[in-house]
Amino acid sequence: MKRATTPRRPTGAAPRAKRGAAVPRQEAPKRRGANSQQTRFSSRMRAWGRHHRAMSWDSFYRLVRHPVGNLLTMLAIAIALVLPAALWLTLDSARLLDAELDESATLTVYLATSVDAAQAVRIEEAVSAEQAVLDTRMISAEQGMAEFQQSLGLDDVLAGLDDNPLPASIVVRPQDVEPAAMQQLAMTLEALTGVDEVRVDLAWVERLRHLAALGRRVALALGMLFGLGVLLVVGNTIRLAVESRRREIEVVMLIGATHAFVRRPFLYSGAWYGLGGGILSLGLLGLGNHWLSLPVAALAASYGASFSLPQLDITGSIILLSCSTLLGWLGAWLAVTRHLSSIRPR
Amino acid sequence: MIAFEHVGKRYGGRFEALAHLDFRVERGEMVFLTGHSGAGKSSLLRLIMRLEKPSRGRVVVAGHDIAQLHSSQVPFYRRQIGVVFQDHQLLFDRSVFHNVSLPLEIQGIEPRETARRVRAALDKVGLLHREKALPVELSGGEQQRVGIARAVVNKPALLLADEPTGNLDPQLSADIMALFEDFNRIGTTVMIASHDLALIARLRHRILRLRDGRLVGDEGAV
Repeated sequence: MKRATTPRRPTGAAPRAKRGAAVPRQEAPKRRGANSQQTRFSSRMRAWGRHHRAMSWDSFYRLVRHPVGNLLTMLAIAIALVLPAALWLTLDSARLLDAELDESATLTVYLATSVDAAQAVRIEEAVSAEQAVLDTRMISAEQGMAEFQQSLGLDDVLAGLDDNPLPASIVVRPQDVEPAAMQQLAMTLEALTGVDEVRVDLAWVERLRHLAALGRRVALALGMLFGLGVLLVVGNTIRLAVESRRREIEVVMLIGATHAFVRRPFLYSGAWYGLGGGILSLGLLGLGNHWLSLPVAALAASYGASFSLPQLDITGSIILLSCSTLLGWLGAWLAVTRHLSSIRPR
Repeated sequence: MIAFEHVGKRYGGRFEALAHLDFRVERGEMVFLTGHSGAGKSSLLRLIMRLEKPSRGRVVVAGHDIAQLHSSQVPFYRRQIGVVFQDHQLLFDRSVFHNVSLPLEIQGIEPRETARRVRAALDKVGLLHREKALPVELSGGEQQRVGIARAVVNKPALLLADEPTGNLDPQLSADIMALFEDFNRIGTTVMIASHDLALIARLRHRILRLRDGRLVGDEGAV
């Protein structure tokens, strides 16, 4: 079958080798071609690392080259991130509140004002003796006044009173914080002599707890919704980038690029968008905090209390940035994978 | 190197681009593929590049039955084949050097080794002095030679060319063909689709003639 070719000089301007190394290296291409497939594992890993580094910088430069448009994309991501992040912060302080509530699952036994200190001690002993009681704490009338003043910060008003209107009270921590058990215990304690009233603030506790649970769900739903928003923003941006580099993708696929190779620069772009959006959202959160902190502090001060808005700590910031970067990466992955299948080399 | 066994290719159920193709190309051969446009030259090359699978029969290239290749193996298969396109398929936003280095980048060759091989390939096609130029700054013939340098830079066992002289004047076309002969002389199997009958007749290599998707002539084969 094979035709014997007569060795002839190539015609005309076929280029001459100027470098000695060039011609011999072009020889025996068959064997070399096969061998280059079998590059050792370590050198393959080095090549892989090299391409990752190159693509991360390449995609970063592409971002920097069009700062305005890319900044707008990142701003869109940032805005989508700010709301769930703010809710998360609020929820975090709610969680602290919830822990306090668990502590405060108590009954307060108000003694009659006629009861003196010695009687009060006897009543406390009787209360402690009850099976369902974990421990008790006596609050004398004076202590009660002091705590009242402290928690309300209404020194001036109370200082004007002639004598202490507050009764002594015993704070009871029950064994069982279930509403029914607490109700039962309250009835038992109310029957003791010298006890004026037993108060169980159960409804309040329950209501707060339900509210917190509702808040958590709303935050989760919003977080997912806005996370999806980030995916769509990044996905759409990356889709356009893929479209604008379609020719390049076709060419490299023609000469043997794997899908991973083609995907890599876009995944880095997505991750950069996510990271940039995350940083901007941190900035927006800080700005919002600054904007609100003054009126909030003034409001708290007017009640004689001090309260500061919850702020994202280092861990929280890192989590936010990681999430946004991951979302950007994922959005890019979805967009590229979806569009690569539609790109076929001509 | 290339074996077509009863190969047929249909597009969209009815149109038969190729039918009853049966031929072999041995290692180290240089073959021209000719026929009027629409005769199936490009379809045949697309099968070898595994851009498509045959509807019937078997295409075996370098020991691979191309229909059996898993899609994840296709990139590695394509790296064994150098392809020169009529429209060059160069990337216009990067220099000549970076166009030629693309196949090596894809394979993860070390930068220093890449530079060495790219310069050797550019030297071979006579464009070493233009390595920093952008493709738009080159003439048609020079662009085609960059395309050839890119096709041979990773020393493929098989070199395919689809109308490589389609837009060039006769002198440039002869130069390009001489380049292909050079690569063939050092052992590369070369297959060139061309309808420049006058030129390929002068070159005295094996010629496969296609008409309406069928092989109607196989001249020059021993």
